[in-house]
Amino acid sequence: MIKDQIKKIYKAKIINTEKVSTNSYYIEIDCNKEIEAKAGQFVSIYCEGLTFRRPFSIFTNNKGKIGILYKERGKGTKYIKSLKKGESIDISGPLGNSFSIKNCKSLLIGAGIGTAPISFLKSKLENENIENIFIAGFLNKNEIPKLINPNIIYTDDGSFGKKGNVLSDTEEIIKKYKPEIIYGCGPEIVLKKISELGERYNIETQISLEKLMACSIGVCRGCVIDIKHGTKTVNASVCKDGPVFWGNEVIWQ
Amino acid sequence: MAVINNILQTNLNGLILKNPIMTASGTYGYADEYDDFINVENLGAIVTKAISLKPREGNKHTRIAETEAGMINSIGLENVGIEKFLKEKLPVLKEKNIDFIMNIAGSTQEEYTELAKICNENKIKAIELNVSCPNVKTGCIEFGVDEKALYNLVSEVRKNYKGYLIVKLTPNVTSIENIGIAAEKAGANAISAINTIKGMSIKLNYINGRFNKAVVQGGYSGIGIKPAALSAVSKLSKVVSIPIIGIGGIEKLNDILEFFAAGAQAIQIGTANFTHPDIAEKLIFELEEYILQNGFKDLNELKRELRI
Repeated sequence: MIKDQIKKIYKAKIINTEKVSTNSYYIEIDCNKEIEAKAGQFVSIYCEGLTFRRPFSIFTNNKGKIGILYKERGKGTKYIKSLKKGESIDISGPLGNSFSIKNCKSLLIGAGIGTAPISFLKSKLENENIENIFIAGFLNKNEIPKLINPNIIYTDDGSFGKKGNVLSDTEEIIKKYKPEIIYGCGPEIVLKKISELGERYNIETQISLEKLMACSIGVCRGCVIDIKHGTKTVNASVCKDGPVFWGNEVIWQ
Repeated sequence: MAVINNILQTNLNGLILKNPIMTASGTYGYADEYDDFINVENLGAIVTKAISLKPREGNKHTRIAETEAGMINSIGLENVGIEKFLKEKLPVLKEKNIDFIMNIAGSTQEEYTELAKICNENKIKAIELNVSCPNVKTGCIEFGVDEKALYNLVSEVRKNYKGYLIVKLTPNVTSIENIGIAAEKAGANAISAINTIKGMSIKLNYINGRFNKAVVQGGYSGIGIKPAALSAVSKLSKVVSIPIIGIGGIEKLNDILEFFAAGAQAIQIGTANFTHPDIAEKLIFELEEYILQNGFKDLNELKRELRI
């Protein structure tokens, strides 16, 4: 029964729910078990009546408590939104790999709800006194979740912070700030541009991808992407080999 | 938690399992992935991901879709190939004392024969022939839909493999009975049914004046296929005398009882492993408790009472 210690599925209890912007929510779950999540890892949540568990990046982790930020998108997130404080939730994790933290000047880029794992990463970097800047981008002021902690915020319509998308000034920031590594999470188009910038300025990039998952543990091979492996192209599953990849190893579609 | 004792023991005409609950090919990897969720050695058996002679990369992108009552997959038998399986995966299964059935898939009869020989040499106790993957352009489904081709294939494999031979049938045929009869005549020890049903998912999203269309054509699995699976098992049970392993949409105890009623001797859990990674082990405990609570002597007595 020693193995029970490492079982990664829990009937957990919701201890906090909060609307944090016009369309995003925070939920905190007590897994009643010590959990040590790394930045970039995710949990999967069973949503009643749905075949696929839904994956969410971990936003906060305090001992046995896991917090996630999510945007209401479809049936899964609608179900999670319907759950109330005190109710039980079927959660498994932490799953997947994580950002591999380097002790060097770091640029953090998050777009939309992709700011959640980047916020978690920032707190980890700060625990280790690693110098960093976190830039975040949103469509408009109403979509900025109130719990995140970026240094610079962009909005597409200029309703808050700087006007423009999250990558509007990245080249200048790179030139001035001279980061040695860039971490990113957000829509694929943003991640692709981050990895291109990394190659252009010879900076390592780590990006966190999202893909529809069936099993979320590397079994079904449903969420694979193409990865460069030496001169060959190989399959990598976003759920188990990822969700974090080196920007220069991803073959973008 | 209940202690698993031998009231669940299942004898499939020569293949003895600790209990009748297995996990279906393609939904359980090579079992090590599930260590984080359950004690895999408690399962009746795991059926490995289909293994081919050479490693396969599988199909290109968008391989899965969720449907109203299950999922569509078009993985295309991505697997490590038999050499790597024997070298890296088999020792892990053995070390952990996990009972397993090796699922094998080829594109030609020669490939199946070669795989059968290798399994025989390596003393693999039981294999399941995948003659029914709908996602591979050449090969295995051709055998599964043609009773003569299937008879020849199974006979050839039988000649080269002395262990326990299961043939997994596709429902995508006019008469699954005829295919089942052919498998039995050719020397199969058991039949498993059903593999996925041909299916398609189309998801439309109208954004900025145009349709975004997400399309996946492949094999349909999950709770939605249970009625089709029950029907196949029931029909097969009337025409073959070898044991039938029921597969299709099982996700709770009552589903298992329904498969026993239809004539299955054991079952495999597939898609539900994705939804609840600990489901297979849970159902073993539930089945045992059900037998004890309702005063049946053992699983065999329960099956006799259930049979329609």
